[in-house]
Amino acid sequence: MATLIDIFGFLSVVIRGFVLVTQSFVVGGIAFLLLTAGILREIDPASARLERHARRLLIWSALAFAISELAFVSVQCAVLMGTVELGLGEVLGADFSMAGLTLAAAGLVAAWVARAPLGASARSGLGALAVLILLGQATTSHAMARLDDRVPLAIADILHMAGAAVWIGGIPYFLLALFGSQGGIAWRRIGRRFSLMAMSAVALLLVGGGVMAVAYVGSLDALYGTAYGVMVITKVALLGGLVFLGGMNFLVVERLRRDPGTPILRLKRFAEVEIGIGLTVLFAAASLTSQPPGVDLTQDRATFTEVVDRFVPQWPVRLSSPDRTQLTTYQIEIAREEAAKTKQPLPLAYAIGSGVLPPRDPADIAWSEYNHHWAGVAVLVIGLLALGERSGLAPWARHWPLLFVGLAVFLLFRSDPEVWPLGDIGFFASFRDPEVAQHRVFVMLIAGFGIFEWCVRTGRIRSQRAALVFPLICALAGALLLTHQHALSNIKDQLLIEVTHTPLAVFGVTAGWARWLELRLDPPGNRIAGWIWPIAFVLVGTILLIYHET
Amino acid sequence: MNPFPSCRIAASAALAWVVLASSPALAHAIVVEAVPEVGATLHAGALDVRLRFNSRIDHKRSRLALLDPVGKETPVALDANAPADVITAHIPSLGPGDYRLRWQVLALDGHITRGDIPFSVTAP
Repeated sequence: MATLIDIFGFLSVVIRGFVLVTQSFVVGGIAFLLLTAGILREIDPASARLERHARRLLIWSALAFAISELAFVSVQCAVLMGTVELGLGEVLGADFSMAGLTLAAAGLVAAWVARAPLGASARSGLGALAVLILLGQATTSHAMARLDDRVPLAIADILHMAGAAVWIGGIPYFLLALFGSQGGIAWRRIGRRFSLMAMSAVALLLVGGGVMAVAYVGSLDALYGTAYGVMVITKVALLGGLVFLGGMNFLVVERLRRDPGTPILRLKRFAEVEIGIGLTVLFAAASLTSQPPGVDLTQDRATFTEVVDRFVPQWPVRLSSPDRTQLTTYQIEIAREEAAKTKQPLPLAYAIGSGVLPPRDPADIAWSEYNHHWAGVAVLVIGLLALGERSGLAPWARHWPLLFVGLAVFLLFRSDPEVWPLGDIGFFASFRDPEVAQHRVFVMLIAGFGIFEWCVRTGRIRSQRAALVFPLICALAGALLLTHQHALSNIKDQLLIEVTHTPLAVFGVTAGWARWLELRLDPPGNRIAGWIWPIAFVLVGTILLIYHET
Repeated sequence: MNPFPSCRIAASAALAWVVLASSPALAHAIVVEAVPEVGATLHAGALDVRLRFNSRIDHKRSRLALLDPVGKETPVALDANAPADVITAHIPSLGPGDYRLRWQVLALDGHITRGDIPFSVTAP
């Protein structure tokens, strides 16, 4: 169990992300059903089809929420039983277990209530369950573990979660209602009501988030000098994107009021992108809960100068690599073999997944910089070729996705030299380390979207849906990068690496959703989006190329 | 007719997203004050351990262990009456050598975190 604890810790954060997403869809669905019930009935009096679609989504969300909560409790209990040697009864008595089981029960009850058309008592019951879910979740938040100001911080957390749920969690229900209804008057009424809900939700989200940011970050130094603060900045940046898209949709709804004939394609497409970026933000929030609040991390903060220095290019870029035998993990293994031969005490081994991290010396840094710089060359060329193709000047450049396949092979060999295929640690054993496991996922994603997009661009796959794979996986990779952390024994070094990776992630998410809009929007919106994503790739390549760790 | 043309792709992507987009649990509860300090050099004899965290701790579900100079791990009993954010323990006797205190705590927000505090003991 000791060597598996990191991957269990990783799993618990993954499941926490599931919990936040499904919770948002449950609370957002309940809010949508309660606040738009009258409108849905008036638009669709005969069949109640719109409400039925929304209830069906609510049932699936509530079941997924219950399963996520049970999975979270199970993983945490397994870790505790395996490491602290407690019985099942003792771990089930922990606060998180009690809260998780209560929340799972609330999810199941919500699914059961939503199975039939909603009368007045069912609506009241669902409303009470939504409040119970938010209250229950707050009992396992940062706030409850604080020493001071627990109640105000818990209230702020509840407001923040409620705002996120009503807005982000409500969008799928809003889209279902739009797709299921006909005519400008219906669209206008649904759109107007959801706009009001979303604006109120954004206000709650900002008030709650603002209070928590002040309490948990505490100072400007901690905002840029701790991982928690940097993640808060990133969430705010993504929120800015969401508010922009929401604002554009608000304008469409206002135009519908004046002219019921206004097309709503842009409204639908922007709402789809809002769901995607909203999911990214919710997973960033799950990742944030695993970080110590910046206000508590008074040592090992990065200074402003150190952060800025990471973005100052160092020339020439590193295009030659140290030999693998110079790396720390390799040297440790050699030293252990020598010590075993001479019967000397063995130096500490690097046991993958044990939580004990190997030291890092100049050869390790040079290895990493070489990886980043060659990846930067590849992505920069990809971006330039995509621009060339987009401009119509270089149609032959449409083969640029193949460079992603080459990049994936390069990363497979280079990203973790201590494990398969270069190192002695086997393929399956390597997955005990969450960082290695995530690198493997990156490799699959990069190769996958490269192959798919090449097939689409060269006409080998003609399905319009297949074309959506590239933007979705691209946005997914950006989100993964956003929440990916490099496990280093030095907290400040780790933070400084995260600082440079965060803009890469934001540009990745931007590129994915811009390409999505290029495929899904009508002119002129799709043409604008078609220029944005290659430029985002150029920026990603440039940042990788100037990356350095010293 | 499917009311949401790309819903299957979107659902698959959302599922993949949820599975993949995450990070290792680093540390929520962190040690803000430690006796002994990281890298401390102590004289041989008894040791009173005191670790203060930035969070309220579930003492019943937290643990402390001592790794001796040959790497053997021995559990250390925690005092029952420590403050909400502190774990304390008494180690009756330590001989010269390099040691590690290995702690694992459950914070009241449900996060399990752990860490090592290396220190050395010299002859009195």
